[in-house]
Amino acid sequence: MARYQGWFALVLALAIAAGMFLVRTPLELGLDLRGGSQLTVEVKPAGDITRVGAEEMEAVKAVLDRRVNGLGVAESTLQTVGESQLVLQLPGEQDPTAAARVLGDTALLEFRAQKPDSEAEFRGLRQLRSQVEAILRLREDQIRRGEIPEPLDLDQLKSTQETLGLDGQASSEEEQLRELLKKVDSDLLMMLEPAALTGKQLVTAGRQPLQNNPNSWEVTLNFDGEGAEAFADLTKSIAGTDRLLAITLDDQLISAASVGPQFKSAGISGGAATISGNFSAETARELEVKLRGGSLPLPVEVIEVRTIGPTLGAENIRRSLVAALSGLALVALFMVVAYRLPGAVAVMALSLYALFNLAVYALIPVTLTLPGIAGFILSIGMAVDANVLIFERIKDELRRGNTLIRSIDTGFSEAFSSIVDGHLTTLISCAALFFLGTGLVKGFAATLGIGVLLSLFTALTCTRTLLRFLMGYAGLRRASNFLPTGQLPSPTA
Amino acid sequence: MTEESSSAQAGTVLSLRWSLSSMRHRVWLISGLVVLISLLGLLLSWLDPGIRAPLRPGLDFTGGTQVQLERRCDDACAELKAIAVSDVIRNLDLPQEEGQPLPNLGAPRVQLLDGGQSLLLRLPTLSAAQGQAVIEAVEPVAGPFLTGGQSVDTIGPSLGKQLLRSSLISLLVAFSGIAAYISFRYDRRYAFLALVALAHDVAIVCGVFAWLGVLLQLEVDSLFAVSLLTIAGYSVNDTVVVFDRIRERSKDAADLPLSLQVDQAVSATLTRTLYTSGTTLLPLLALVFFGGATLYWFAIALALGVVVGSWSSIALAPSLLTLWDRSRD
Repeated sequence: MARYQGWFALVLALAIAAGMFLVRTPLELGLDLRGGSQLTVEVKPAGDITRVGAEEMEAVKAVLDRRVNGLGVAESTLQTVGESQLVLQLPGEQDPTAAARVLGDTALLEFRAQKPDSEAEFRGLRQLRSQVEAILRLREDQIRRGEIPEPLDLDQLKSTQETLGLDGQASSEEEQLRELLKKVDSDLLMMLEPAALTGKQLVTAGRQPLQNNPNSWEVTLNFDGEGAEAFADLTKSIAGTDRLLAITLDDQLISAASVGPQFKSAGISGGAATISGNFSAETARELEVKLRGGSLPLPVEVIEVRTIGPTLGAENIRRSLVAALSGLALVALFMVVAYRLPGAVAVMALSLYALFNLAVYALIPVTLTLPGIAGFILSIGMAVDANVLIFERIKDELRRGNTLIRSIDTGFSEAFSSIVDGHLTTLISCAALFFLGTGLVKGFAATLGIGVLLSLFTALTCTRTLLRFLMGYAGLRRASNFLPTGQLPSPTA
Repeated sequence: MTEESSSAQAGTVLSLRWSLSSMRHRVWLISGLVVLISLLGLLLSWLDPGIRAPLRPGLDFTGGTQVQLERRCDDACAELKAIAVSDVIRNLDLPQEEGQPLPNLGAPRVQLLDGGQSLLLRLPTLSAAQGQAVIEAVEPVAGPFLTGGQSVDTIGPSLGKQLLRSSLISLLVAFSGIAAYISFRYDRRYAFLALVALAHDVAIVCGVFAWLGVLLQLEVDSLFAVSLLTIAGYSVNDTVVVFDRIRERSKDAADLPLSLQVDQAVSATLTRTLYTSGTTLLPLLALVFFGGATLYWFAIALALGVVVGSWSSIALAPSLLTLWDRSRD
């Protein structure tokens, strides 16, 4: 008996420890329960790299980590999933638009000089670009407000398209304008020298409002020693000419400036520059975040965005909790009715089981999602199964006329092999799901797997210890606490 | 560990509560018919021009954007017709994404849920900004919306294929792992029959959802894949316990004919199997009745799997075992 008192003390100590741990460490809730945004990006192979390996993923993740931190959403997490995907979770964030923009861009910043003898054409194209862009923005605004925009000057559009070598096949007028812009952009790029320096040589980036117009912002840059030198050389080579210094981001011209003749001798030294390209406070901040994070070594694509509102999350958690608790209450009632004293013991053991489960979730930690809760509820079913198996065996032994204590011991040992087999087969599927599955499937497999492991422990240790402990009291040591008296063999038989 | 009690057991004649082997033809007929109806459902779904797959694939598998909005209704919701919402979406001019073709909003699917209290939009894959633009455009017609009551899911088309592939791979790995374990602990016949029972359970649950897809336009999502994997695990767990008892009987009462051993083992585990299925069903039914809409069909699939799984482990798998041995004799 002393042996069981020792076990009993251990179980009690574990329960108290689990309870205290849970009070101090709150459970981590998934985005489907607390609301927020989740973005999945896929890293695409490009250039010389045909397969995305662990090293490339590390490099991409480092850059995205810096960008995400720049966004300033509390408790955001970025995790590698599978071989080529990253999942960003933004708890509480309702509008993932900015995050999607910040994540998706390569952010390759380049400083390039304009090719000699292209001044007139370059200027013409830039002028055309700003005109076309202004028309397009105006029309988009009008359409958004539900107004019908004025028809375009089709002759002018046609002649412009012909000069640029476009066939004008796009479906709508807006599409045609967008096509035009794209063509102008690529023509502009053709007129630039290769990059003299890139975002790699950047030390920091910042932003500030323009002095004459506080609604317009500029982004400030600081280069390292090598970058400063390259920047000085670059500006020196075009100072005093009509050639412009072009700044491109992901192959798009974002700013172009002339360099005054006073820099003819030494170029712009000191390693600092500003980009002023019609930025609002928000777009300036996004560019700053991207530049600070550095450019991505490989292109990425946002392949999944999930957003769930916090009240929807709260509703989910409330309903699932109600369901789980009412289901458990019914199971508890059933156990007591069907198995009497051991049924009540099993209810105690199962309460401990639930407590241990939650403590393990907090300890690892497991992020609780809706499928995770479903896995937990299902694992309770399996934990009950273990108890049912044992009690059925005990009843069998009692019906054969064995003594109570002997029946209990035999019941546990006879049920042992089928409990182990049943749990292990479930565990095998859990392992397959956890290591090969994705997202939701993983969360489900994690809670079910933990549940199955703990169920082995509680059924074989907690139930047994509690039962043996109670058998120490003579008042409880009666076969009629286990079986209706009618089913017991009569002593003479 | 069974040694000490075996002598006592051999003398006791176990009462038969259910003589399985005498009704095995009926068991096979029932299982065969239900599996046939299930396969018919899968086939009909495949032939349906709107589905073209054994099961109607949901957003998780096809890719696209799904927007759910909760409307703020103080007393009663203002009258809303789905067609009004889809008109707005059809005429919407989306913001362009760099280097991406503009998604075609020609055929949005608009559903009103909970008596018009919430709105479900199914659209082609949109970027985050475009999704926001849709919500803003719909608000004047169907709003005001509850802040915090909205959800936007966008799944890229490649993700669905990955999900399908990873689900199938994990299912196959789980199958072979379980088969290897049972072959090791029992023998290959038991492993084969456990897999037959498992395939039977999975086929029936798939068949029911195929019928639901054809008749009620119900779509299967990634949670359905999870439920199939769970049913697979549960089915084997259930069957193994019965097999464990059959093995025990064949050791303790080796002189009895196998069909009697099987009958005795099934009778002895009948209470346990029914109780266990019952207690597993209780929380699942609680989820069906009280759980959120997210888990409704998930819980139904699991509950169905538990019922079918119990049937296959107390009736189908053991009765097939008797067939095997007679053909050998």
